[in-house]
Amino acid sequence: MSTRAIPSHSQELRPPRRSLPFDAFPFILLLPSALLIALINIYPFATGFYYSLQSGTLLQSGDFVGLANFIQLFRMADFRHALWFSAIFAIFSVFGSWAIGLLLALFLNMDIPARGFFRVALLLPWIIPSIVSVVSWRWLISDQSGLVNVMLQAIGLKPIYFLSTGSLATFSVIVVKIWRSFPFMMLSILAALQTLNRESYEAAAIDGAGRWQSFRYITMPHLLPISFVLWILMTIWSVNDFETPWLLTQGGPSNATENLSVLAYRYTFNLNDVGIGAAISFFTMLLLMIFAITLLSRQRET
Amino acid sequence: MLTQKPLVRWSLFGLACLLVIVIDMPIISLILNSFRSTAEILSSTSLIPAAPSLVNYAYVAQRTSFFQYLLNSLIMAGGGMAVSILAATLAGYVLSRFRTRVFRAYGTGLFLVQMFPVLLALIPLFILFRKLNLINTYYSVIIMYTVAQLPFATSMFRAFFDGIPHDLEEAARIDGANRLQSFALVVLPLAGPAIAAVAIFAFLFSYNEYLIAAVFLRRESLFTIPVGIQQFMQQYSTDWGSLMAAAVMAMLPTFVLFLFIQKYMMYGAIGSGVKG
Amino acid sequence: MSTHDEKTDDGSAKPERTVSRRDFLRVTGGVAGAALLAACGATPASPSGAASGQTAASASTDAGTTGGATAAAVQATQAPAAAAGGAAGDVQFWDMVWGPPAYIDTAKKVVQQFTQANPNIKASYQSNPWSSWPQVFTTAVGSGTAPDVSTGGGYQAIQFYPQGAILEIDDVVASFKPDDFLPNQIEGMKFNGHYVALPWGIDIRIPFYRKDLFDKAGVKPPTNWDEMRAGLKKLTSGNQYGIAFPGNDNAAWQGMWGLVINNGGGLFTADRKLDVMNDRTVEALTFISNLVKDGVVHPGSAGFSGDDMTKAFSSGSVGMVIFVPGTEERVTPNVKQNVELLAPMTGPHGDKGTLLFSNNLMVYKQTKNPDATKSFLKWWSANSLPIWTEGKCGNLPARTSIAKDPYFQNNIYLKRILDEWVPIGKLTGTRSSGTFPALADIDMGGMMKTLATDILQGQDVKASLQKLETTLKGLKTLQS
Repeated sequence: MSTRAIPSHSQELRPPRRSLPFDAFPFILLLPSALLIALINIYPFATGFYYSLQSGTLLQSGDFVGLANFIQLFRMADFRHALWFSAIFAIFSVFGSWAIGLLLALFLNMDIPARGFFRVALLLPWIIPSIVSVVSWRWLISDQSGLVNVMLQAIGLKPIYFLSTGSLATFSVIVVKIWRSFPFMMLSILAALQTLNRESYEAAAIDGAGRWQSFRYITMPHLLPISFVLWILMTIWSVNDFETPWLLTQGGPSNATENLSVLAYRYTFNLNDVGIGAAISFFTMLLLMIFAITLLSRQRET
Repeated sequence: MLTQKPLVRWSLFGLACLLVIVIDMPIISLILNSFRSTAEILSSTSLIPAAPSLVNYAYVAQRTSFFQYLLNSLIMAGGGMAVSILAATLAGYVLSRFRTRVFRAYGTGLFLVQMFPVLLALIPLFILFRKLNLINTYYSVIIMYTVAQLPFATSMFRAFFDGIPHDLEEAARIDGANRLQSFALVVLPLAGPAIAAVAIFAFLFSYNEYLIAAVFLRRESLFTIPVGIQQFMQQYSTDWGSLMAAAVMAMLPTFVLFLFIQKYMMYGAIGSGVKG
Repeated sequence: MSTHDEKTDDGSAKPERTVSRRDFLRVTGGVAGAALLAACGATPASPSGAASGQTAASASTDAGTTGGATAAAVQATQAPAAAAGGAAGDVQFWDMVWGPPAYIDTAKKVVQQFTQANPNIKASYQSNPWSSWPQVFTTAVGSGTAPDVSTGGGYQAIQFYPQGAILEIDDVVASFKPDDFLPNQIEGMKFNGHYVALPWGIDIRIPFYRKDLFDKAGVKPPTNWDEMRAGLKKLTSGNQYGIAFPGNDNAAWQGMWGLVINNGGGLFTADRKLDVMNDRTVEALTFISNLVKDGVVHPGSAGFSGDDMTKAFSSGSVGMVIFVPGTEERVTPNVKQNVELLAPMTGPHGDKGTLLFSNNLMVYKQTKNPDATKSFLKWWSANSLPIWTEGKCGNLPARTSIAKDPYFQNNIYLKRILDEWVPIGKLTGTRSSGTFPALADIDMGGMMKTLATDILQGQDVKASLQKLETTLKGLKTLQS
């Protein structure tokens, strides 16, 4: 690598070993993480891609089928549905958790007694294992003796079985996902809020700006860059989320809440069809990459 | 953000209590249920236990290997955390200070790496670790946890180092420090808040992770808590009382830890760190 | 060895594959691992003689099995090791969580008893959580680290057998007398003339009812479907319903399939041809669909887990469930006295029957000590009584000798299930016999659960069955 591309300030700092055209220093620093990533990712990635071009199972290779698995995907009704559900799931989870995270971050940024305790208490959904949080949710919503239905019945309503129809289950899976995800949003936004200096608000107040105006013209622009990144990260995490739908509904009822991750799992491990499973995974990855790169480059433009 | 009158402060306090109760209701009901027998959990419709008891806790503490699981979890989460901080500070520094095309490509590649689903990688990784004689060791899982955290941790450190002026290193260089020294002795000591933030993310991820631990640790003495509590789940029924007590016991250390370090989490590290 | 799954389109058997995926992975993985090691100048953490010896040994075993050797050939290569006074060596036993926490402790103890009785063999026990078993077993088999022997569901052996991972145990089965096992158990393990597993535990779907609720509604325990439908209607009022199914769990379709078999229906013809839309199956599922339309099926059913259903049954929201042996132990203690077992009903055409699973005890081809492992297999099959008496295992024993124990004979529920229900139980492959690979896909693939939740959500029976038929026709295990 030529040293020309190194910014000028470090060029001045460069040791007087001008006989060496190659600057090894950054590469040495990068070596531990690059090696670890190469070790864990490159070989499985290649193997996974090899799976996706074959028929057969995880244990026994079949024939080379080229892109047939990928073409087959679009003929599968369950794949089309999973694609649709993944999109719905991601859109609502991302904006739901962002909105709730934003509101709570603004709230916790106020001067409240025992603020530190509340901050941690509202992070709780994030710090417990997924199996535990999903199980707790099932206790609240799955039948008529769950707390939510006890309260509905107490005010004279009929119990609602939140996991018993496709649309209700979709709603529930999204709610649980939002619940598990908002703390991360809240924490990130709260941290960004802390870097906003008080002077800008005071200056705005002197100029006669109301609360809404200072939120609209000072807070929001400040939070926009981080929100952008949070949306991208959260989209990736939602689309790749296996645990929330699997533990809550196992993709049911009638596959209504089956996303691409659950579908890939089912084909790979339950139906012994790793070709389709891998093709689903690679398709998902490709989709996410295009999405992330498009958004990131757009962010850099603005 | 601004100091308010006591009345306003305490009504905000009341609102905060209400919010915590509503939002944390699944966890509150979990904690309350942990003081009930499985039979009562399955039959009761009220939130408050009729006859609270510590039987489940006694059972988990005495009859299961819970503390072994806890120790394993702490070792693996701690190990993953330490290694990822070490590797990510170095990498984050490189990506922040050496903006060549190679390193920019590395940064983007890092971002994309996290989209690869681990489920597909299980068998190849297992074979790899077997070749390295790392099956049924802490190391295999620590390596996996480290790599899972690296993309995020690296970008957090990079963004943090971006915010540290280059003048500091230049001053150190003029005083005769070499490049490694100027990084290790001048820049790194400033990275405390970023390290705290990355530590929390890395620890939480590893402490709660299930899939990797379940596949790579095939010996009960190595089980982590998320794997260990699955032993309360039979094919068609679950020992809810024990499971919930174990879950509460597993939650306590992280909760206490968070109470102590929550201040550091707010130092803007996360805020600036998640920039892509 | 595994030619049955490798038929070409014209039906002729392909030549044995010489390089399996496992070998490919192993070779490339080794290269990648070695290259990386070389790159960082490190050596493996524990390059001890024992560890490298193990690798060599397993590599040779793999070469033997994947090269198409028969079980006998593998045994022959192992013969010198077992020369001195019977079988010797290590036996790694993987078990599932078949009971409450006490089960694991008891099973460990029984394994220790085996080691005491067989000092030459060192058996070790590993418990596996249910939630990750497909990944754990597939990964283990795929990476050459399978256990020697394991328990598993009713179709685990046949899932892995076509992929060359399961050792045929015809010689072990030959050493038993026909009446060592309960009727129809051992024959369910047979595929293409070979036994792929030993049955050890029986899982079966049984209707339970709440006697107190039946009495209060003036309903007698039904003896046929008409009485059942009328009775469930009478039971339904306000927040109380006749029956529930756990749609979030496989137990929903399994309970429904109990009624399909009760009507002489099934998915297959006697010669293993797909026969989804047969009249008996349609009729049985229409009966269930009518129950849903009557409003007697608990409206939360499609989203219920097994525990949700047990809760509804325990709290009196439903009067009847079709569930697993031991359901009476899961309700609140003061409700147990009101939980009764239904006697087998007579279907509309005079059939009796329900769905049954024979859970597997299977040996993996990767075993280095097949003789020692088979010794363990036989010993475990005969001596595992404590996993029931002390471990409260949820299955019923497949061995006649164990089923005769007072633990079962003095328990009114278990005795009645063994006497009245097990003899009329049939496997998922009904109306065919034995086992075959498609049954593993059907057992785990989720399509049956989709069918059950379709019906619970009131969808058309024939349309739902057609959807199932399309899915099943797409299965690679059914395309030949």
